[in-house]
Amino acid sequence: MYEFEYVRPKSVAEAAGFLAANGEARLMSGGMTLLPTMKQRLAQASHLVHVGPLGELKSITREGDMLVIGSAATHDQVQGSEVVGAAIPALARLARGIGDPQVRYMGTIGGSIANNDPAADYPAGVLGLGATVVTHLRQIAADDYFQGLFTTALGEGEIVTAVRFPVPRRAGYVKFAHPATGYAMSGVFVADTGSGVRVAVTGAGNGVFRWAEAEAALAKSMSPKALDGLALDASHFSEDIHATREYRAQLCRVMAARAVNELLG
Amino acid sequence: MPDHAHTPHAPFQRKEDRRLVTGHGLYTTDRTFAGELHAVFLRSDRAHADIVSLKTDAAKAMPGVHGVFTAADSTAAGMVKVMCMLALKGTDGEPPRVPARSAFADGRVRFVGETVAMVVADSVAAGLDALEAIEVEYRDLPHVVDAGRALDAGAPVIHDTAPGNLCWVGEAGDRAAVDSAMAAAATVVELSVESTRVIPSPMEPRCCAATYDAANDHYHLYSVTQGVNAMRMQVSFAAGIPESKLTIHAQDVGGSFGNRSPHYPEHCAVMLAAKTLGRPVRWAGTRSECLASDYHGRSNQIAGKLAIDKDGHFTAIQLDWVADMGAFITPAGIASHTRNPVVLLSGVYRIPAMHGRWRAVFTNTSPIAPYRGAGRPDVNYMIERLVDEAAARLGMDPADLRRRNAIGLDQFPYKTPTGTTYEATDVPGSLEKAVLLADWKGFPARRAEAKAKGKLRGIGMATFIENTGAGVFPKDQVDIEVDAKGVVHAFTVAHAQGQGHETTFTQVIADAMGIDTANVLLHEGSPDHVLIGNHTGGSRSLVGAGSVCKLAGLKLVEVAKSAAAAMFDTEPSQVDYVAGTLTDRVSGKSTTLAELARRPEGLKTQAEATIGSTFPTGCHIAEVEIDPLTGTTEILSYVAVDDCGHAVDHTIVEGQVHGGVLQGVGQVFCEKAIYDEETGQLMTGSFMDYTMPRAGMLKHIVIDENCIPSKINSLGAKGVGESGCTGSISAMSNAMADALRPLGVPPMDMPFTSSRVWHAIAAAGGLK
Amino acid sequence: MSRIELTLNGKAVSADVEDRTLLVNFLRDAQQLTGTHVGCDTTQCGACTVLVDGRALKSCTLLAVQVNGAKITTIEGMANGEALHPVQQAFSECHGLQCGYCTPGMVMAVTDLLRRNPKPTEEQILHGLEGNICRCTGYVNIVKSVKRASELMAAG
Repeated sequence: MYEFEYVRPKSVAEAAGFLAANGEARLMSGGMTLLPTMKQRLAQASHLVHVGPLGELKSITREGDMLVIGSAATHDQVQGSEVVGAAIPALARLARGIGDPQVRYMGTIGGSIANNDPAADYPAGVLGLGATVVTHLRQIAADDYFQGLFTTALGEGEIVTAVRFPVPRRAGYVKFAHPATGYAMSGVFVADTGSGVRVAVTGAGNGVFRWAEAEAALAKSMSPKALDGLALDASHFSEDIHATREYRAQLCRVMAARAVNELLG
Repeated sequence: MPDHAHTPHAPFQRKEDRRLVTGHGLYTTDRTFAGELHAVFLRSDRAHADIVSLKTDAAKAMPGVHGVFTAADSTAAGMVKVMCMLALKGTDGEPPRVPARSAFADGRVRFVGETVAMVVADSVAAGLDALEAIEVEYRDLPHVVDAGRALDAGAPVIHDTAPGNLCWVGEAGDRAAVDSAMAAAATVVELSVESTRVIPSPMEPRCCAATYDAANDHYHLYSVTQGVNAMRMQVSFAAGIPESKLTIHAQDVGGSFGNRSPHYPEHCAVMLAAKTLGRPVRWAGTRSECLASDYHGRSNQIAGKLAIDKDGHFTAIQLDWVADMGAFITPAGIASHTRNPVVLLSGVYRIPAMHGRWRAVFTNTSPIAPYRGAGRPDVNYMIERLVDEAAARLGMDPADLRRRNAIGLDQFPYKTPTGTTYEATDVPGSLEKAVLLADWKGFPARRAEAKAKGKLRGIGMATFIENTGAGVFPKDQVDIEVDAKGVVHAFTVAHAQGQGHETTFTQVIADAMGIDTANVLLHEGSPDHVLIGNHTGGSRSLVGAGSVCKLAGLKLVEVAKSAAAAMFDTEPSQVDYVAGTLTDRVSGKSTTLAELARRPEGLKTQAEATIGSTFPTGCHIAEVEIDPLTGTTEILSYVAVDDCGHAVDHTIVEGQVHGGVLQGVGQVFCEKAIYDEETGQLMTGSFMDYTMPRAGMLKHIVIDENCIPSKINSLGAKGVGESGCTGSISAMSNAMADALRPLGVPPMDMPFTSSRVWHAIAAAGGLK
Repeated sequence: MSRIELTLNGKAVSADVEDRTLLVNFLRDAQQLTGTHVGCDTTQCGACTVLVDGRALKSCTLLAVQVNGAKITTIEGMANGEALHPVQQAFSECHGLQCGYCTPGMVMAVTDLLRRNPKPTEEQILHGLEGNICRCTGYVNIVKSVKRASELMAAG
């Protein structure tokens, strides 16, 4: 790693102020992506501003028909949270499948969606549930937040503080794990919200996206069969040594059907 | 299943376990040295290029930097050689072409990961900072990363001294006899396979450290190793110094699987730096640099033909084998992928006519060295895949086809047409045990049940025979001595990397001497005991060093009897030895090993023996189920029946089989080192892309034994280190072929990743 | 440079560390606790796993400054004098290690797994081992070791 200074702010406001004053400083939440990247000398920072330990970012609460998860809530916290389990069990299961036990203790929902790795799990949950990303400056709808490969609507120095999930009637998430990393080679989140069906796909392409044809089909009939033969534009899917574009498309279909089954219980 | 009680001493605990489970092992990277410096390497980021210029001045001026080394230094120091253990002339009359290799790329880089320069600094961080200040200008050259293509006319030539990229070509067997048998055969089955390139990846990343004693012009090299003798021989050769000027040090080694036996350029590099700078120099490889620069394993492309008469008897086998050597020779790279397959060309079968051609080929990839099995799994994979394809063609049960052709117990010693004499073993008996344990007969019903659930089941069998390593050195010596407290110390060259020698070898000695294992200690690679002997490799350590431990224990008793007789003023024949106590049968006087050891001359001796190859065999059966929707495979059961000769400790034998089987499973399902054809880049450069097998891949394994003790060593041991790998690659691949065949999927190669399996099913038209 | 104070294997330790120092390097280089190993550079193999306030974390992906004030247990702090910790005992009894390089990380990960779930099912054991790679054992005897450790701990 290149040299940097470790900074532990006492509040989000202090962290935001520090970032604003130090252009080369970087925010660290759990560090599960940032530190490995820095170890490889692929990233550099003057300061690491560590917001992971901030209590104000760690709370998980139910506010009416909203589940609010603080950005520094760890995957382990979310998977074991009774509040999450009662409100959106599919989200708890999603968290339980991220990384490995050691990584789940450190990795956070805020870090995951700020990084927006195209194969990360959380973006599927956030987009699939039509959540709202809360930052220290504003609120951003999930549909506007994710903008493709490692890109989000976040501005310079903007800090995610929480994610607000509307509690759906039912939901399901199933991923096909990458054999080496455990990331999603394809993961599909299906939510039956009060106002319709949302289907979000991660791992297959350049970033999480909604599968409109599946949403329409499942709105008519919430069953795996409804997905049979649906169009799926795989032209923008990624292709690598682990999976071809066509195979990723196949996995999308199968994971979607399995997610529907999970949703149906 | 018999539940083998391992020993009367429950609970099981290996002697090495106490220190290893408490964090008190001493691995090479755990060692520190007063005044030490840290080495980091600049490695080639391209497959093939001329080095136009290499500027290190800025790096040398960086803070904390003590030296920057390149080929200018290593070549001037005479560190330019690679040892090649095969000297045999090929069919073109030429011995292997062994290109020079300086410790750093000299004028040209030939694979991604090759050492280009080394910074030696106060800390790793300071070294890495300086690496970025080294300027290299390359002129890219066309590259070739596939061994088959490297032989094509017009392929880029990697070494001027090896036209056509041919390193060595050899033939074995009787081509005319094979040709006529093929012509007369009722059926000829042809199949081309690739035993894929894999990266052994022991969990301890490769590392070494050197100190230089200027007063005595002597180097001390601390390294992961499989045995200090072979390492000393190779490194001194590569460094251009006499063996007497080099001492190798090692205690705990974090896995090896063949990969820690060869010398590497980094050895010479740290020695050069230690001498030049007069300070100890350490290097600890990162996983990513190890994936690129550790020698890789396998990478053999083999075309095979099997001739069968109308009664289902094999009449001839022929192989055409292209052995990828990577960009440079490694000491045992050629031999393991040419000699071992020749020795085992018959498999476990009676085949009257055999012939093969082997071409060793250079490519722009990391060099190839032995990896668990070293050619044995590869040749077995070819033969056993041919046998299963033959059974399918003939409409025969693969077990029946093997029964019909396997060498029976009454036919040993069996001499194969390529001149190998196999020791007695009972493959048909192992097969019968395995088919019962795997419920082979019940498989059709299980397949039908799976089909009803939309799944594809397959079952696959492999029988195999292996030649354990005959050894590089002419004999194995063991020193044995007793200390003043009566503890027996044995010294070997063989060096464990997880095999548990401290447990098994001391058990052998304790049994030979009738004493408790608690009173026996093993020391491997002790610098104070310079012995002739072989490193651990080729499943040979118990066969070689282990059996000599028995001889040493027995000999020590005789020496003790003579010493006691002198003390009692009687004849040795009048002295009774029981469990460490020696008694004069006439006078009734007695003494102990400890008392004899306290005499000025002490109590010690040396034993030795020359021990060639033994032939472990086995029959393994795998059952798999494929989810055709995703192409994923679940291993439902695995049965391994082995003839490893006499087993000293069944728990350790089973552990070796477990580990070997999963390494085979890794190659079959997920591991493959992939170089991009276009860019020559290693695509599997970290554990994010090189898929290591994880817990749960192999949930159910049943192990049994059908052992016939070897007659060529005092223990009757045959070895078991590599059988798991050799059996599982073939058995798993046959199971996959069996699962996919009903859909019309043509024979496919490893790795059976979910993506490749799904595509194969889709290409065959999907589920019918 | 930052000053950190922590409890390491029951002893109070304070030290000045560069901010970029990883916990694993602090343990191995500054504290000479070489039982904690490094097996990869991508946070996957788990050989570096230690307990931080009882939770198994990968010390290769954690800054030493991050654990300021924490209680750290490494493999060297597991045995009680001559008596092995039940997880260490179980790995030895079940031949759950061969070369031993991954073992410290395995022992720490399993200790946490059993703290959270004293009687795990096979599926839960496999899920709990996802962060650790072993190259020698085929994991067969590691799974067996976890079950044995569970028994030993239940027996007290």
